Amino acid sequence: MDFFKKSLDPVIALSAIAVLDVFMFLLLGAWTVGGGETMMTGIIAQFFMGDDLNRIPFWSLVFTPDAGYWKIYISLGMLFGAFVGAILSKEFFIRFPRRLSEWVLITIGGLLMGIGIRMAFVCNVSTFFGLTPEMNLGGYLSMSGIIAGAWVGSMIYKKILEG
Amino acid sequence: MDTVVGEILVAFVFGSIVGLLVQRSRFCNTAALRDAMLFKTFRNTKALLMAMMILTMGFTTFITIGEGNPMKFDVGLNQIVGLFLFGIGMVLAGACTVSTWVKTGEGNVGALWALLFTFIGMFLFSLLWSINYWPPTGASMTGDPNFEALQLGYSNAGTLQDKYGVPAVVFGMLQTLVLFAIYRAIVRREKRQKIDNVAASQ
Repeated sequence: MDFFKKSLDPVIALSAIAVLDVFMFLLLGAWTVGGGETMMTGIIAQFFMGDDLNRIPFWSLVFTPDAGYWKIYISLGMLFGAFVGAILSKEFFIRFPRRLSEWVLITIGGLLMGIGIRMAFVCNVSTFFGLTPEMNLGGYLSMSGIIAGAWVGSMIYKKILEG
Repeated sequence: MDTVVGEILVAFVFGSIVGLLVQRSRFCNTAALRDAMLFKTFRNTKALLMAMMILTMGFTTFITIGEGNPMKFDVGLNQIVGLFLFGIGMVLAGACTVSTWVKTGEGNVGALWALLFTFIGMFLFSLLWSINYWPPTGASMTGDPNFEALQLGYSNAGTLQDKYGVPAVVFGMLQTLVLFAIYRAIVRREKRQKIDNVAASQ
């Protein structure tokens, strides 16, 4: 099938996702990723810590670990959909970052993303595909933050590329 | 059908289609911002803008008639600071929340590593959180601006409609026009680049 041979124009892909996201907005709520990831963090932490987790107020007052939380399954779905797409287009293969510096950057980047999401209560997906199209003030605040952050990140990235 | 099972199914099917489309199109939110800033290429930026136009019209149309499930929480300085940190992080990691899942699905161990540390970052932040001090807490979220807690309250196309009596979709159209103007500027820039490239190669 052609779909699995050629790469798809992202404008077409994102238009299709946007139309589906409008249905999601009507059924459950707009596309979001950070909330599901937070719940997964809570479930994993509960697995390791057991009842000790309840001593941290966040996990009893804001996100009580619950495997029935729908946002988790958006993330698992994305993993599954991408896996199927990669297998059918013969693009699946295990690859590792080669240099130590890449591992370090990914580690720092991952930590900053996790901390940022929880501080803001939103991730990049809710910023661009949820809050801003709902014209929520938080969308504009988040966009100014992410654009400034991406600029600073790009400058660091450029320094490292050139350095 | 059990509501929870139904919600899980809808979310999983939606996620799967998104994962497939993102994998096939190589869309990346990080690239949409980074490439526009660093390399002046706009393949992903255009896709992002197109999606935002469709969503703005879709969401505000349904908000006008009181349908849909908009996100409801107070916003404030924490969105700017949080997404600023997130923005740096996503460029350093080379992936955002979507592409970490999608690239992990393609067998990219670096993306899985980024995901793992996103979880660890979330857990670390949860240790700092408290009900009665900023960053965002239940106690300071009143729905109205609360400058002491650096919170600006809750407002979206729906609250604009209630306040000014103008249908939410009108505000949506204005936002869509702004997004379209940016989109058109990018397309024009790309055309100019193409002409320049052709001229340079002759």
